[in-house]
Amino acid sequence: MNRLLVVFLSLLVGSVFAHTNEHANLGEQASSIKTSGKVFHESVSIIRKMHPEFLRHKRDKTLRQGVRTDEYSLKGCVLCHANKNKTNNQYHSVDKKGQFCSDCHEQVGVSLDCFSCHRTIPKEGSL
Amino acid sequence: MSKTLNRRDFIKTTSATTIGVATIANGITLTTFAGTNKTPVTNEKRWGMLIDTNKLSEIDIDGMVSACKKEQGWGSEVHSTGNQKPGWIKKLKVKDKATGKVSNLALMCQHCEEPPCVDVCPTNASMKREDGIVLVDKHLCIGCRYCMMACPYDARSFVHETLSNQKEHMPRGKGTVESCTMCVHKIDKGEVPACVTSVNSDAVIFGDLYDASSKINQTLKTIQSAQIRADLNLNTGVRYSGL
Repeated sequence: MNRLLVVFLSLLVGSVFAHTNEHANLGEQASSIKTSGKVFHESVSIIRKMHPEFLRHKRDKTLRQGVRTDEYSLKGCVLCHANKNKTNNQYHSVDKKGQFCSDCHEQVGVSLDCFSCHRTIPKEGSL
Repeated sequence: MSKTLNRRDFIKTTSATTIGVATIANGITLTTFAGTNKTPVTNEKRWGMLIDTNKLSEIDIDGMVSACKKEQGWGSEVHSTGNQKPGWIKKLKVKDKATGKVSNLALMCQHCEEPPCVDVCPTNASMKREDGIVLVDKHLCIGCRYCMMACPYDARSFVHETLSNQKEHMPRGKGTVESCTMCVHKIDKGEVPACVTSVNSDAVIFGDLYDASSKINQTLKTIQSAQIRADLNLNTGVRYSGL
């Protein structure tokens, strides 16, 4: 019984520490911002937890009231967090497997429906 | 309205200021880009268009359609057939049976003041902005297509297939209704709709209908113009002359 408890506890503790603060696939611009020492998101934990609310609030303001700021703009998310395919110099879609958005969304089992309409790569000319 | 500062108020304001300063100091390295339109649009403006059918040639209309396609990224749907194909702006030929006079119209969403599409929408997705632009909020659209049936101008279309590589400013997706947005993304930047810029002559005038100094307002005051299906009292934002 005790042995089982030890196994269970070690698994529990292990899973807590397995969740590191680093994102494996941050995206090109986001990585360069990070390495330059600049801070884009004031708090990573807040943006991780709250980004759906931020985006939802922003989308209504933009679409219904015409407020077009760059704060919490989905275009901005895609622009910074998209990765380029090194061989053909094309962007990977952010919602494709292993890319920035799908990485976490798959892990936590939350489907995301932004990209059935929204563009998944930065716009032409920003290559 | 004289108010003396008591101890409690003093503590409140000073702590508020301290928090404010702390937030600024914390966010000082925050990287931001310059935004464009920061304030909500108001009903002091009403965007409209005046199309002179005498000056507008068929080639001009084709140019308007292709400019719209290019700007908004529609028209390259491969699986949609026949009337499933989107048509944000259409070339329409109207003939007066009595005189035989043929006019060519560029017909798109008329951006009504009293839009029937907004009346019938069950989810509030079909909406009118304060400045008179009628849009579909695709976040809320359930694809019931009531608005398409309600529109007297057949201005809306439904996306029947999965799309990719949309324009950054114009999200489009299967299962939602779409129509002319009067290039709202350009208007908010102070630019003019793509179809208007595609016409070289002054056959299409775009501007603020309420602004007495605008070209569209002044032209509408001097020449005779018409609304299509004016009998419905929708007060359209798109007007036609020479009909």
